[in-house]
Amino acid sequence: MHFSEESRISAHHNYLVNGRMTQGFVLGEPDSGDRFFFLADVVLPAESTPRISARLYGPEGNLLCEVQWNRLGRNPGRCTYRSLEGGFRILDEAGSVVLEVMTEKFPRGYLSGISGRLFDEEGRLRLEPLGDNSRIPGEPPRFLTRPYGGF
Amino acid sequence: MGEQPGRVWVFGDYRNYFQNRVTLQLIGKAKELAQEIGTGVTVLVVGERVRQYAMEYVAHGADAVMVAEHPDLSEYRVETYTALVAEWVETYGPEILLAGATAFGRSFFPRLAKRLRTGLSADCVDLHIDPETKLLVQTTPAWGGELLAEVITPHHRPQMATVHPGVFEERPHDPEATGGIFYPEVKIRKEERIRVLRRRTRRSRKIRLEEAQVVVVGGRGLGSKAQFEMLEELAELLDGEVGATRPAIRAGWTEEERLLGQTGKSVRPKTLISVGTSGALQYTAGILGAGTIIAINRDPHAPIFKISDLGVVGDAKSVLPILLEELRKRL
Repeated sequence: MHFSEESRISAHHNYLVNGRMTQGFVLGEPDSGDRFFFLADVVLPAESTPRISARLYGPEGNLLCEVQWNRLGRNPGRCTYRSLEGGFRILDEAGSVVLEVMTEKFPRGYLSGISGRLFDEEGRLRLEPLGDNSRIPGEPPRFLTRPYGGF
Repeated sequence: MGEQPGRVWVFGDYRNYFQNRVTLQLIGKAKELAQEIGTGVTVLVVGERVRQYAMEYVAHGADAVMVAEHPDLSEYRVETYTALVAEWVETYGPEILLAGATAFGRSFFPRLAKRLRTGLSADCVDLHIDPETKLLVQTTPAWGGELLAEVITPHHRPQMATVHPGVFEERPHDPEATGGIFYPEVKIRKEERIRVLRRRTRRSRKIRLEEAQVVVVGGRGLGSKAQFEMLEELAELLDGEVGATRPAIRAGWTEEERLLGQTGKSVRPKTLISVGTSGALQYTAGILGAGTIIAINRDPHAPIFKISDLGVVGDAKSVLPILLEELRKRL
């Protein structure tokens, strides 16, 4: 039986990944400059939306786009951002969903589910859909206990 | 390896969450107990989609939550839950395990205690840690509520107790709180000998204390649940509602929704009959809007007589039967 503390959760906002809750996590290296990363940052009580930043690649390892605090940044892959009720979606040039983040509102808190199919710069699958959230194959994410901040 | 869960465990009874506050009240008390024995509070959250409750328990003071989510756990099933929680307890050995004395807690915890071969104190009205032995002292009504017994479990673990709702205070919701989350392996054992064929919700009589024209209030001076039940008949005869003071609720004589006073409801009936209540400020703060206050108390110096329009100095055990008999004749 595995009983070690796997992450910390917040009373205010959490992400759902691998079927489990966490107040924040990071995949890859946000500070690397040109490599894959996915950051679901800790959301403080003053805010009600998730804080997603990422550098996303296609299955061939081609850079699609960057996301900074839920907004598209550098975008060589001509991705589009679509705002949804309760979240947002990023589509590739062909209109396929790359990433979707949807937030469920509870009476006194929020839970953001992340789904999509994310690849790194070598074309390795780093996140894939699993039911109403996502699975992280291979190396587990680093769980955050405080906001990651800048990168 | 990360941290291990704290050794004071509370079973999270989240059904009817916003009315059923007993788990939150237990977390508040468990924090005190855990501090006394140098550990933390872990709340067990078992069910199908229980994520928001895990967050709520952290907001109310849980140091950690232990979560089991599975479609087969969507129903509160005593046998399945007993097998699951017993395995967690046997593996990780909490010192203390608490649950609310709800219908489910009263069914689930005795089975769990039997499975774990440990003791259980039911319907406790207080809990504290003995400063010398560090054992949990469980105060529970005995002899039909005529006396309070202090129970300890010196040789077996965990020390288990159920606690009546309303006995302890919950901590305020803190949106900045964080807590550990543990996902132990979930082994579902198909041990259930009960099959749910259909579900019907019992319609409970709505308590309309604030709207009642007659309110009958019982306090500690009634002495027992049997005496308190006489108030229910009195209220029924007068087409009124029953209220209670904190000691009566702590004794388990009625539900917390009937609490009057600073931490309960405020009422403005035409007539209020206060029986066996001393008249403490915490209580009278909730009845000052009443039209006519009639007090029954055996202590002629009780403060309740200072705010009452009519006072009866006498033991409720003697006065109530006479009053009921007269009312039955006339109504």
